[in-house]
Formats: sequence, structure tokens, C-alpha cells
Amino acid sequence: MGFWEEFIPLVLHGAVNTLWVLVISIPASVALAIALGSARVYGNAPIKAIATAFVVTFRGFPLVVTLFLLFFGLADLGIYLTPYQTATLAFVLCGGSYMSEYVRGAIRSIDIGQSLAARALGMTKFQELIYIILPQAIRRALPGLSNEIIYQIKYSSLAFVVGYEEIFAVSKTFISRYFMPLQVFMVDAALYLAMTTAAAYGLRALEYKLRIPGLEMSIR
Amino acid sequence: MGRGSEMVGDEIVLRVENIHKRYKDQEVLKGVTFEVRRGETKVIAGPSGAGKSTLLRCINLLTKPDKGRVWLEGVELTDPETNINKMRQKIGFVFQEFNLFHHLTALENVMIGLTKVKKLPKDVARKKAEEALLTVHITEDLWHKYPAQLSGGQKQRVAIARALAMDPVIILYDEPTSALDPQLVGEVLRVMEELARKGVTGLVVTHEIGFALEVADEILFMYGGRILERGPPREVVFSPKHEVTRKFFENITKLYGGK
Repeated sequence: MGFWEEFIPLVLHGAVNTLWVLVISIPASVALAIALGSARVYGNAPIKAIATAFVVTFRGFPLVVTLFLLFFGLADLGIYLTPYQTATLAFVLCGGSYMSEYVRGAIRSIDIGQSLAARALGMTKFQELIYIILPQAIRRALPGLSNEIIYQIKYSSLAFVVGYEEIFAVSKTFISRYFMPLQVFMVDAALYLAMTTAAAYGLRALEYKLRIPGLEMSIR
Repeated sequence: MGRGSEMVGDEIVLRVENIHKRYKDQEVLKGVTFEVRRGETKVIAGPSGAGKSTLLRCINLLTKPDKGRVWLEGVELTDPETNINKMRQKIGFVFQEFNLFHHLTALENVMIGLTKVKKLPKDVARKKAEEALLTVHITEDLWHKYPAQLSGGQKQRVAIARALAMDPVIILYDEPTSALDPQLVGEVLRVMEELARKGVTGLVVTHEIGFALEVADEILFMYGGRILERGPPREVVFSPKHEVTRKFFENITKLYGGK
């Protein structure tokens, strides 16, 4: 069997594994980001403190260290995560923390009049957040979140350090047999580029779909 | 005397007693006391910095007064035991800057309080919202427009409908026409006047002297954090007891062309 016949199925298998992590980790990161960002603006003092500590911690750890801590560190404590679980969890903790700052900024950018009007109607603080503030804030945060989502697609390659068989991991192994790094990494690069480009277009389409008529001058 | 005083009963719906509010070293409200009867329209006038807007926000506790008490239909709002969210449903509030929810259509703006706060079924809420919009002359072609697609006058009328749809005991208007282009002021004042004539109780902070003379049952003239004088509109505007009151209304009448 030649190089291509062997490599293409292998790297596609890696790509499926990569996607399998991302379809969970991206939505979960965004959800965590919304929760953390909201908690840091709307929470009471203890909730604020916990959310802030969480963000500072997981934003402060290098992703590699988080991966190792979850995989080897937790194993030391008797908690064994699979490479898949480790990668997904690490991406959510790290990505969610980063993304939460976009959400927090967006929430803070919403005019105070929106809050006053919500409260004047008799909404609780929580209702105000859910029905009035977040629908507007998430729209504003979306371009920044898109950036982080694209980062996450690319940094998913780091999952190889805990032995998860994603694109980059299978390629590395493959190179040790056929020494053809140029071809191998060109294929890898093309696959990542395809994923990030698709994500960029998808997110742009979402942004367009969620636009508020009259409010944004032009989105394109 | 203002318009339909025959609609004003004896029942006091809002009582404000000795409200004080201080921001750092500035005392904005220095003990304000008054009451509003059901069906009444009361106008609060006075120079900027007199504490009018702060007073209005102290009533529904968007701003917490330092001292003093507020009752709505006999329930003390300033009592920490009172569920303020529940009580705010009964107090309509119309803001100078409209504060419509940007991400919702006109109809949704009016509906959201009914569905999420009053927990009405969607079809009931929709019907109520449509009625309220028609009351303020927002016709069907505008119901699905977003706030950014409406004129200032239309926005403020939607905001009034949003307050009205909740069946409030009273509507508080905080300079409802001050952010509008002059040619749009009339349509908003007309709606407010119609509501007043229908017996909707209102407390209106405004510089619109024409509205006060036509519609109000009483004017409260505020100066330096206090009600300096109060009485029937014609009396307060044309033969006030205090020199500052006379000067204020003289200036305002000049500015707005008078009546």
C-alpha cells in the first residue's frame, strides 16, 4: 500500500476524532462562558468571587498543563479520564474561561436603560438577565466568541499530548514510518483550514441571522 | 381645574411621605410628601436638578430612598418585607429615553411583561398587547418593527403601551417628550391626554406647560429637592406664591410659545 492510500483514511479517522471532541467542547465552552460571564456581572459577592477565581485559574494555566493535570494529575487521585474525556474537559475549562470575558464585556456594554425598563416591569434580576440582557449581549459577544471558537479548533491539536488520536497525533505517528513531513503536514494544515473556514462562514451566517433590523447599519 | 375631575375619586392610590435621597454630598430630595388619587393626573414641574426624576425613581424603588415611605394601594413599597417585583408590575414607568428592548419587536416589547412577569398565556398576552398598541395608535403595520426602525414618537408610544398593557394602578412618566424632535412631541402628548381622560392615573414629570394646563388636576412645583408649591395648574402657573415659581413658568412659557 502506498503512502496516500494509507495516510488518507488514517488522517480522516483523526479528523473525525477531532470533530468528535469539538462538537461537544465548543457548545459546552460557550455555555460555560455565558454562565461565568453572567455570574461575574449579576452574581452576588460569593458567586462573583468563585466565577472570577475560576476564570483566572483556567485562563492562567497553559492548556498543556491543564491537559496533563486532568489526565495524569487526576489519575494520581484515582480519577481516570480517557484521552477523549480529558481533551474535551480541558478545552471546555480553558475555552469557557477565555470566552467568558467576551460575554462579560458584552453584558457590561448593554445600556443601563434596558435593565431599568426590565426591572420597572417587575422582572427579577434573573429574568432581566435571561430575557433582556443576554439575548442582546450574546449578539454583541458573537464576533469575539467566533475568534475563540476558531482558536479552539486549532488548539484541539494539543490533545495529542494525552494520546488522543486526533489529526495531529495520527500524523506524528505516521511520519515515524514514512518520513514525508511536508506532505503530511500540508494535509493537516488543509484539514484545519477547511474546519476553521467552515466555522468562520457558519458563525458569520449566524451573526447575520441574529442581526436586529435597523440596529446594525450593515453587517456585511 | 384640569380635565375630568369628575373621574377623580377620593381613593388615594399612591402616597409618598417624607422622601429623602442623598448622592454623596448632595441632598437631592429633602423630604417630599404628596399623594395621588385614583383617576388623577398630577404634573411635577421644576428646574433641572430639582430632584424630579429621582423622586419618580424613588417611587418604584429603582432608586432606593434614604428615608421616607411610599404606599401603593395601601401596601408599603418601602417595607423590606414587600415583594417589590410584584408591586412594580402595578406601576407603569415611561422613560425619557424610551428604553424599549432593542432585540424585540414593538409587539414583543409589549408582550414580554405579560408573558414573563404576569405569566399570561401567549394568546391572551398577544391580544392584550395588540389592544394596548391600538390604544396608543400604533397600527398593525408597525407591530413587527424593531425599535430601531421606529421614529422617536412611535417608540415612546410603544413604551407607553408596554406600561399600559400591564394594567397598572398608576403610570409614572419621566419627561416622556424631552428626547423627542419637536414635531413628534404632539403625538405622544395626545396619547397621554387620551389615557388621562380615560381615567388612567398618571404622575408626569414634564416641562410641557400646555399639557399641564389642559390635563393635570394638580401641579407640584419642585425646587431644591422640595415641593415649593402645589395647586391647580392655572393657579401655580399664572399666579404662583413664590418668585422662583413665577420666573420658572415665565421662562418655560416663553420657550414653548405659551398658550
